[in-house]
Amino acid sequence: MFNLSRFRKKSPWILHYNAGSCNGCDIEILACLSPRYDLERFGVINTGNPKQSDIFLVTGPVTMRSRERIVELYMQIPEPKVVVAVGSCACTGGVFRGMYNVEDGIDRYIPVDVYIPGCASSPELIMDGVVKGLEILESKTKEIEKPKQLYKDEVVTDGIVDRSHMAQKVKK
Amino acid sequence: MAVKFLLILLVPLLGGLVYGLERVVRARMQNRVGPPLLQPFYDMFKLLDKQPIMINSYHIVFAIMHFITLWVVVAMIILGDNLLYIIFLHLLSSIFLVLAGYSVNSVYSHMGSNRELLTIVAYEPILILISVSFYMMHGSFSIDTIYEHHTTLPSMALLFVALLLIIPIKLKKSPFDATEAHQEIVGGVEIEFSGVFFEILYMAKGIENIFVYALVILFAGDSYLLAMVLCIGVFLLINLVDNATARVKVGDLVKIVLSLGLLLSLVNLIGLRYV
Repeated sequence: MFNLSRFRKKSPWILHYNAGSCNGCDIEILACLSPRYDLERFGVINTGNPKQSDIFLVTGPVTMRSRERIVELYMQIPEPKVVVAVGSCACTGGVFRGMYNVEDGIDRYIPVDVYIPGCASSPELIMDGVVKGLEILESKTKEIEKPKQLYKDEVVTDGIVDRSHMAQKVKK
Repeated sequence: MAVKFLLILLVPLLGGLVYGLERVVRARMQNRVGPPLLQPFYDMFKLLDKQPIMINSYHIVFAIMHFITLWVVVAMIILGDNLLYIIFLHLLSSIFLVLAGYSVNSVYSHMGSNRELLTIVAYEPILILISVSFYMMHGSFSIDTIYEHHTTLPSMALLFVALLLIIPIKLKKSPFDATEAHQEIVGGVEIEFSGVFFEILYMAKGIENIFVYALVILFAGDSYLLAMVLCIGVFLLINLVDNATARVKVGDLVKIVLSLGLLLSLVNLIGLRYV
């Protein structure tokens, strides 16, 4: 049988989300895609559309406003998918750790596959992280991956999985 | 005849190759390395491997109809059918795409469909005028007749310029890519497609490339050399313009194309009739 999973690492499409970052890491991610570093030579496209993405690049400590969005976006990416936390803030909260309005990194909400340190992460580090993420992407299955909070189980009717209401709002 | 049927079967592959070449050429123009030539096929295999998410069945059916009608359009061109039929069938395929955009409950998808309709208003008269002037030159709408005669490029130069004006709309390239507008409405009509279903639209884009270059080849008549020169020239020009210009608003797009393009084609048509 023709093995399709080895083509996953040949065309990783990226979704980039800013969960309250200072914009430093975002500029470095865009620098990766620009002519100097040229991530497109690996087949990377910055789609901006969760339904057509494979790699979820998140920057910033998760602010209160962005946690619903991050879960919603994560649920909209079809499997197999890889989450890459870019920068100290997304990994641990960084300088904002312990503040009342942030959530100390994205791994409280969604499972993270690759952590990229640095404030801000350099383009070389981001490229290494994305390439590491591709190895993980190749070995993943197509099971539905669930966020850690703010979700409920999928509804299955007649063998069709309804995942449109899996991401939930924060209760007031 | 067997060669023609083989060519028809290979049209989606050919479209993918043209799209891959386009990405390489665009990267080289920006002093980048760019993706490999077979990148659209790697994308295809990856998209087949992704888990598909379906919004509703009409959405998918319209996308498949869009793909099939486009394929039939290109097949009719290869078989040398009636040019006017071909242009109206191509309009039908665009309408299927618009319906696919309206069938989901997504604002960006609706905006993409609205813009698609506006661009149809802009480019469709020019396509019809092109086929009408081919009729005036040869006395027939048949593509076989066009291929039997010498090139009509000198007497239809203004119409060729009008065609150059609408090619960026069809291929969704700057400055006329307001229908897709990735940074603005995230792809417009294609936003809700994923996995295998997005691959259908992706292949349709490749076939659209073939359709446009087939229209360009019509101007070359019976000369293979001129056909090749025109295709390569148009390919390089379109990609150069794509790299060098910014997007115009969809209202301005309609104004520019309808005023300039329609004027050029009408002047050419009147010239063919009375001069």
